[in-house]
Amino acid sequence: MLNTNQFRDGAKAALPVVLGYLPVGMAFGVLARQAGLTPFEAGSMSILVYAGASQFLAIEMISKSISWFPIVIATFFINLRHLLMSSTLSLHFKGHRLRTLSFLSAQLTDESFSVAMSNTSKISNRPSYLFGLQMTSQIAWIAGSVGGALFGKLIDHKDYGIPFALSSLFICLLVIQIKKIHHLWVMMIAGISSIVFKWVLPGNWYILLTGILASGIGIAIEMAGRDKK
Amino acid sequence: MRVSILILILGMGLVTFLPRFLPMAFLTRWVIPERVKMGLGYIPIAILSAIVFPILFFNEGGKVEIQPHYLLSAIPVFIFAWKVKSLWASVILGMLVYWGLGFVL
Repeated sequence: MLNTNQFRDGAKAALPVVLGYLPVGMAFGVLARQAGLTPFEAGSMSILVYAGASQFLAIEMISKSISWFPIVIATFFINLRHLLMSSTLSLHFKGHRLRTLSFLSAQLTDESFSVAMSNTSKISNRPSYLFGLQMTSQIAWIAGSVGGALFGKLIDHKDYGIPFALSSLFICLLVIQIKKIHHLWVMMIAGISSIVFKWVLPGNWYILLTGILASGIGIAIEMAGRDKK
Repeated sequence: MRVSILILILGMGLVTFLPRFLPMAFLTRWVIPERVKMGLGYIPIAILSAIVFPILFFNEGGKVEIQPHYLLSAIPVFIFAWKVKSLWASVILGMLVYWGLGFVL
């Protein structure tokens, strides 16, 4: 059953994400329209796919008249990074019903995941909280995309510091994750390796690979610390 | 809706849903070894670093190039977020600083 208080709490936590999703969603809607999609098609994509980077790539590929199959393959690889986030969230929803989990996982994004992980006591075994957080975020994304497709550029998404909105959110979320001195080391290693991976590999493999490498190094540092004691 | 777009959206939806769903579906039902749990504890910091750092050092074309506009905006946000752990305020500050720098740079 949905716990209304938790849902409302989660919805409130989503507000910084909403701030970023509305203009970026709008930018998606505008580009989708330019690529020949109707507002209904753009909105359907934001409902059923709901993954920013791959939606932008899809629009670019559609405008180059590339057929659906290569677009789906590209989408698959771009969104593989969610494997790691879904695995991490699983620790907080032990034994919950598959139906609940399917709703929660369908709306998983980099942004809502990171906000959820900034205070894990709020999400542990509280699916309604996570649902409120993710539902609010996705509604902003859908509203932005449909709005952009219908009305075009209401605001210029390159203006008013909008390009830096989600980056600021991620910076603050990163800082919140640094609780111990060795977290700083993991951050530095992950930062450098992500740059190297992005430099040498196509697409966004760098996120998935950095996630695996840096968490492995995190384990090694933590184990080494334990052995000393 | 055109059939070709419907197929595209359903295909994209399916391949996006599976990596989001499958780990949660299985790992919530399995016993997870301590060391794996420890590793998963580093996933947020690893992924966030992998999102933030490349923004500062890659241009829009995906080539390595220091991004002064992003870098100079990131530093005050980082310090502010360190002192005041507020997502809201960090986003507003970041937007203001980035916007302001746009007139100078």
